[in-house]
Amino acid sequence: MSAEPERPAEAPAGPGEPGEHPLSVLLFSWMRTPLFLRVFAIGLCIAGVGLILAEIFLSPYAIKDVTGVPGFQGVFGFVAFAFAVLCGWPLGKWLRRPEDYYDRRSGEAGRDR
Amino acid sequence: MTVERLADWLANSNPGFFIIAAALLVPFAKDVISRAILLVGGPVVALVALINAQGLSINLSTVKVLGLELVLYRPDSLSFVFGLAFIIASAIVGVYSLHRRDPLQDSTAMIYAGSAVTAVFVGDLISMFIAWELTAISSVFQVLAPRTRESGRAAMRYLFFQVASGLLVLTGVCMFVAATGKTQFALMAPSMAGLPVGVMDIAAPGAVFLLAGFGIKAAFPIVHNWMQDAYPNASETGTVVLSAFTTKLAVYALARYFAGLDALIWIGVIMTVFPVFFAVIENDLRKVLSYSVNNQVGFMVCGVGIGTQLAVNGAVAHAFADIMFKSLLFMSMGAVMLRTGTTKATELGGLHRTMPWTTLFCLIGAASISALPFFSGFVTKSMIMSASHADASLFMAWIMLLFASAGVLEHAGIKIPYFAFFSHDSGKRPQEAPFNMLLAMGMAAALCILIGVAPAWLYQFLPYQESAIAYLESELWTPAHLIQQFQLLVFATLAFMLLQWRKYYPAEQRGLIIDSEWLWRRGGPQLWGAIAKPAQLAGRVCAGWMVGAGEAFRVAGRQMFASDGWVATKVPASASAIWSLAILGLVLVVILFG
Repeated sequence: MSAEPERPAEAPAGPGEPGEHPLSVLLFSWMRTPLFLRVFAIGLCIAGVGLILAEIFLSPYAIKDVTGVPGFQGVFGFVAFAFAVLCGWPLGKWLRRPEDYYDRRSGEAGRDR
Repeated sequence: MTVERLADWLANSNPGFFIIAAALLVPFAKDVISRAILLVGGPVVALVALINAQGLSINLSTVKVLGLELVLYRPDSLSFVFGLAFIIASAIVGVYSLHRRDPLQDSTAMIYAGSAVTAVFVGDLISMFIAWELTAISSVFQVLAPRTRESGRAAMRYLFFQVASGLLVLTGVCMFVAATGKTQFALMAPSMAGLPVGVMDIAAPGAVFLLAGFGIKAAFPIVHNWMQDAYPNASETGTVVLSAFTTKLAVYALARYFAGLDALIWIGVIMTVFPVFFAVIENDLRKVLSYSVNNQVGFMVCGVGIGTQLAVNGAVAHAFADIMFKSLLFMSMGAVMLRTGTTKATELGGLHRTMPWTTLFCLIGAASISALPFFSGFVTKSMIMSASHADASLFMAWIMLLFASAGVLEHAGIKIPYFAFFSHDSGKRPQEAPFNMLLAMGMAAALCILIGVAPAWLYQFLPYQESAIAYLESELWTPAHLIQQFQLLVFATLAFMLLQWRKYYPAEQRGLIIDSEWLWRRGGPQLWGAIAKPAQLAGRVCAGWMVGAGEAFRVAGRQMFASDGWVATKVPASASAIWSLAILGLVLVVILFG
């Protein structure tokens, strides 16, 4: 009686996917864990609060105007970033055209190439 | 030739000439080793020549042509930084392009780099114009390199702007030289702290033309769009080459001739702000980076406009850093282009799995351009920010620059790496970039970190060294400065996460975002058509009248001279005799009294 050929044991599932570059596994695979985004966001919030507190205690300058208020740069950065991104909605509708827009002939303008 | 004479010749020759000489030999290099020797060796010889220059702020090489003394080599502390950056960039680009053999593109890229180096080291307007034009002509071949119909058209539009810039500069040079007889910038005006910077008064003859010519190359608002048109149409290496030289050469020219010109402050501020909005909605990541070039050059133009020692130092240092981190970002996108055939955000994502080195280098470039402390952008841009904050009258300019700093984090710091390498998985599993590309990216990344961690290395070369060192010791690394910069970046990143989570971040969409190019590609022709319509109508009416009159004349002639027409009708003999006498009488009168 011949023994059944032994099945090759399946390789234990690693942190990366098959064919993934080892450096990618080392540097980036932890980002794919389910909790990453939540932990990262909480970490940023803590860092933000910590930076404002640090500015209050470490900054030796007197407040001369609004830009000297602790946390000004943080609030400004948040608002400026959000403003720039949210402007993308109306601007996209206004300025986006089909990719072959300039290749289409339409009257005199269609002569443009 | 003895070694001493060779060394003397090296030390007195414009370093750009060595790069151009190597470029002329590149087409004859058959194997990769000889190509590598030429592409990297040319810049290395140029670097050796520059380091061994026999003194700064003196004319090292002059030649007389048609009675004019041309200064072929006059290095000083302003041109030194730009020249050094250009030489390093040309070596990096040489390494980056080793994977493919295209003699025409390789050769013209090196001529382009060499002429940019030449332009910053010459000491007079006429030589600068010649080198300026050479950069324009040689750079067109980078756009033509893909040899597609689209790249050909983009190259012609690019050439139009470059030639227009050259013609404006030529007009300015001719007017200025004709009126003043001066060609050498060192002799034009009293300089700032011993350095010829901002030597031209805007009221001088031809100065406005020079400013306009420099402005086109610096991509001032409205005429900025040649960049977004040409860069994404160039090859993966061509875009890197283009990003390094043209706009920074224009910044050098602005600093040399117009530093301290108030108008430049606001032109620069506008340049930093408007690209932020376009970059948010742009789908092509190489176009996003082109907007980012506008944004960063805006900081430099603003610094040049402020014109204080700190601001000029900031503009020059930021140009150096920008050449490195922008090249790095364009190189990473070039690697993506080479491996996937696209740089459209809608078609990318998840590439970090198989291109981790490229991802890592892109992240270093993103951190640098975002001015994350301990990366190059932070130690250079902060000088411009501090210079604008120090002047109460520039409060609005400072606020707008701060807005642009948050904006650059959005489009270059987050959008580029996030949508190319992370974000949704596109399913693409391309091979990592070729070794030479990774090596070039590694060199640029190392410089970004080196400048960020040890800025004294760069600060010692800046035009106003004492001012730079004082800033380094008293302001750059203060807790308040670091904390405020971290605050800006941390809260802006939080805004990104919140907007993504709540799905308020506009999704990437295929499409073309129209910009100022619409004015001459669509608006202009449409306006011309609208103006031409009434003229066409009037023309049609006139033509109708003319045709009617002609027809009536033809019919009348036919009636008169036809076989049965008026002339042929029989008339009585008496009438004929009377007509004959009358005509004879008339002839006699004319002969007698005429």
